[in-house]
Amino acid sequence: MKPEALKELIYKMADDLLILGHRNSEWTGIGPLLEEDIAFSSMAQDKVGQAQNLYQILHSLGESEPDIVAFTRNAPQFHNCQLVELPIGEYDFSLVRHFLFDTADALRWEMLTTSSYEPLAQVAKKFQGEIRYHVLHAKTWITQLGSATEESISRLQLALNYAFPFALGIFESSPYEKEIIAEGYFGGEELLKEKWMEKIKSVLNETQLILPDEKIITPVLGGRVGIHTEHLQPLLDEMTEVVALEPHAEW
Amino acid sequence: MSNPFHSLDPRINRLGVYEVTPETLVPKTGLDQFETYEAFIQKREGAKYEHVGPVHAPNEEMAFLFAKEQYSRRMTCVGLFVVKTDQILTTSFGPNDNSVYDLLPTDNEVASGDPQVWEVFHLKKRGIQHHHVGSVSAPSAIAALTLAKETYGAERPVVNVWIIPDSQIRFTSPEEKAIWDTLKDKKYRDAIAYKVQDRIDRYKQEHPNLQSI
Repeated sequence: MKPEALKELIYKMADDLLILGHRNSEWTGIGPLLEEDIAFSSMAQDKVGQAQNLYQILHSLGESEPDIVAFTRNAPQFHNCQLVELPIGEYDFSLVRHFLFDTADALRWEMLTTSSYEPLAQVAKKFQGEIRYHVLHAKTWITQLGSATEESISRLQLALNYAFPFALGIFESSPYEKEIIAEGYFGGEELLKEKWMEKIKSVLNETQLILPDEKIITPVLGGRVGIHTEHLQPLLDEMTEVVALEPHAEW
Repeated sequence: MSNPFHSLDPRINRLGVYEVTPETLVPKTGLDQFETYEAFIQKREGAKYEHVGPVHAPNEEMAFLFAKEQYSRRMTCVGLFVVKTDQILTTSFGPNDNSVYDLLPTDNEVASGDPQVWEVFHLKKRGIQHHHVGSVSAPSAIAALTLAKETYGAERPVVNVWIIPDSQIRFTSPEEKAIWDTLKDKKYRDAIAYKVQDRIDRYKQEHPNLQSI
């Protein structure tokens, strides 16, 4: 087993889910529709729950307990891509991010169902139901608003143009990429990106939205090695506010 | 016409508050509302589908999502379908202790045309929800109702009957069934998971001067 490679892979997935889960939970109470308010909040909880499962696996590989890992690190120690830490902005951006990220996430977990690392393959199967709903939700909204009115289409298009370079950062290559693929832990970021491009194109084809040309775009990288925007640390400060008040409290 | 009160917030502009039209009288515009759809859920594998309530949505895919959030989030659910409210054909309401089928005029007209599938729902009493009793194949809604009476008319009481054309229903696909298969270990979502009474009691004991907490 190559524990360093494995940990790197699991850390970035867990951090993506925790940070996006926290961001999406910020829609609680202010969603554009009551059902959407509930949907975003409940999917946010799903993501935090999935992150917790992954931190638990990391713990079994010798890392600290899930709560310690989640609540006591600073921004440079987080491995999430920058896409997930960006502020929620307007609903158009949050929706586009949800679509771009969750499509990749669903494909990643699908690939992981055959991971040679059994604990990952197991949670991949366990998460299937939740993830299937997240992509159904994202696809339905993007299809609807992506061909509804001039306002909805242009707002989504602007959000897509802004989010796309960050979304390409999801697939930032790992220093352990070769080992990860050779050991059969995961099929690799490049393969995932190919599948993802195909999938998002097929959804966007049903709308009036245009996917920016990947060839002329510079992906926003760095998140996986701890380089983050100025938005991550304030998020972490808020997320850990209560823990920081009473670090040893029992819950 | 350029509007001097153009707002940066599109919601304000949609209200049309400051728009003055040259005509004296204009038709009143419809309400800015979505159409309604009715949602039906199946609580367990093999159980009858039951009507759970309406949702407002712009189309059936969105209605399916909203219904999922509104009606199947906390209870057990293995299947959901939605149908536009105006696609449901309903009889009048009958007495509480009998069958509304008995009050319906006998239809002797021989229906012709291609048969289609209709889902039949009964309401056993006022105040509860319609439940699925089965489906019939008939060329028209009236013919479907006649057939429903022959097939399911023995049930008592039946206060009201719904007939729904199968072709108008947005069902759950077999792959979608997994969406209700969520992680079980999420007790933190429920207030009951936080057991604090013993700690409150202990705190009160340690702080006898505390009036109330």
